[in-house]
Amino acid sequence: MTTPLLNRIITVLSDILDLDPATITADSYLIRDLNAESIDLLEIAVTLNSEFKTDIDDDAIFLKNLRIYLNEAGESQDDKRAYLAEKYPFLDQARIRDMVADLEAGPVLKVRDLASYIQARVADHE
Amino acid sequence: MNLSFSGKTALFCGGNCELALALAPLVIAEGIRPVLSCRSEAAREHIVQCLNEYSGAFDTCFMDFDSPSSLTAAFSALDNNLDYLVDFVQGDYENLVAAADPDKTGRYMAAHVAARADMLKRAARIMMHRRFGRLVFVSSAAAGRPNPGQGFYAAAKLAAEAMYKNLALELGSKGLSTVTLRPGYVEAGRGKPYIEKNREALLRQIPSRSFVSTHDLASTLLFLLSDQARHLNATEITMDGGLSAGKQRL
Repeated sequence: MTTPLLNRIITVLSDILDLDPATITADSYLIRDLNAESIDLLEIAVTLNSEFKTDIDDDAIFLKNLRIYLNEAGESQDDKRAYLAEKYPFLDQARIRDMVADLEAGPVLKVRDLASYIQARVADHE
Repeated sequence: MNLSFSGKTALFCGGNCELALALAPLVIAEGIRPVLSCRSEAAREHIVQCLNEYSGAFDTCFMDFDSPSSLTAAFSALDNNLDYLVDFVQGDYENLVAAADPDKTGRYMAAHVAARADMLKRAARIMMHRRFGRLVFVSSAAAGRPNPGQGFYAAAKLAAEAMYKNLALELGSKGLSTVTLRPGYVEAGRGKPYIEKNREALLRQIPSRSFVSTHDLASTLLFLLSDQARHLNATEITMDGGLSAGKQRL
């Protein structure tokens, strides 16, 4: 996944997190790999808002309610995936499947999730 | 002392109150353009009339904490230009805690705490992107020492003070600073009739033997907005002539 939109997001992340952009990929985990803290997430949201001229819902773009939604969903893996797909319509089925399988390892938010969110928001405006 | 100001645009929430109208000419003289918020067309006309001689040097906007959707329009009109915020908003709700209607209390807190939090979120996000923001909350000495009947007023003020303080803690590294001013008895607005009725008895309670004037308060607010006051951050300052420092005098 390399798109102009993703590259713009990587530029934003590298500026805010003071990282070499070459070290950030679509599959980098924001918290696990890039060590983003809550104040960084806030600044990322504000900067993406300005960069892409679209309102950012912090809870949605950073998947802040993911664990709550998983508790609300049914017990089966299918139920969880269906519920998350309803709550996060900007994520595709493959990504949701990967996220559910990856939960044990820690926060699942990836750079590609930000790109998916922004892409959906921009498409909404068009 | 010469004061300096790094910003150019100020939002006065509750901009039609006497204090905001006294502060507006002072900031205009410093090259700052105030945007005075109000809740009705009549209030907007009042602002325009009072600031008639400064026509073209200020703006107005509609903002009502009872109508959170009005915040969207108000902040959109600012177009990401915001350096200063002075928050004068405080609705009147005097009631004994044990006598208060829960629905009224809920609405009051929704407006003065939840809607204010929404307003602060919007302002802070603009300011942190600009790497500068100075916010002054006009609280009240009653936040720390309320009279009977002022429980909800004090609760709302204390909640707001906490939000302003935390903004400074959380976003200090992004250029934001905040301070809360707690005036005592001010000869303006809702306090004026109370002062007129109890003047002598109140003066005996105040060590400085004087009330806070609108001009004194506006001048102090101007100083708190200035670059020179930036280290007064994440704190509350009481401006009551010493009223709350000692025990009540009989």
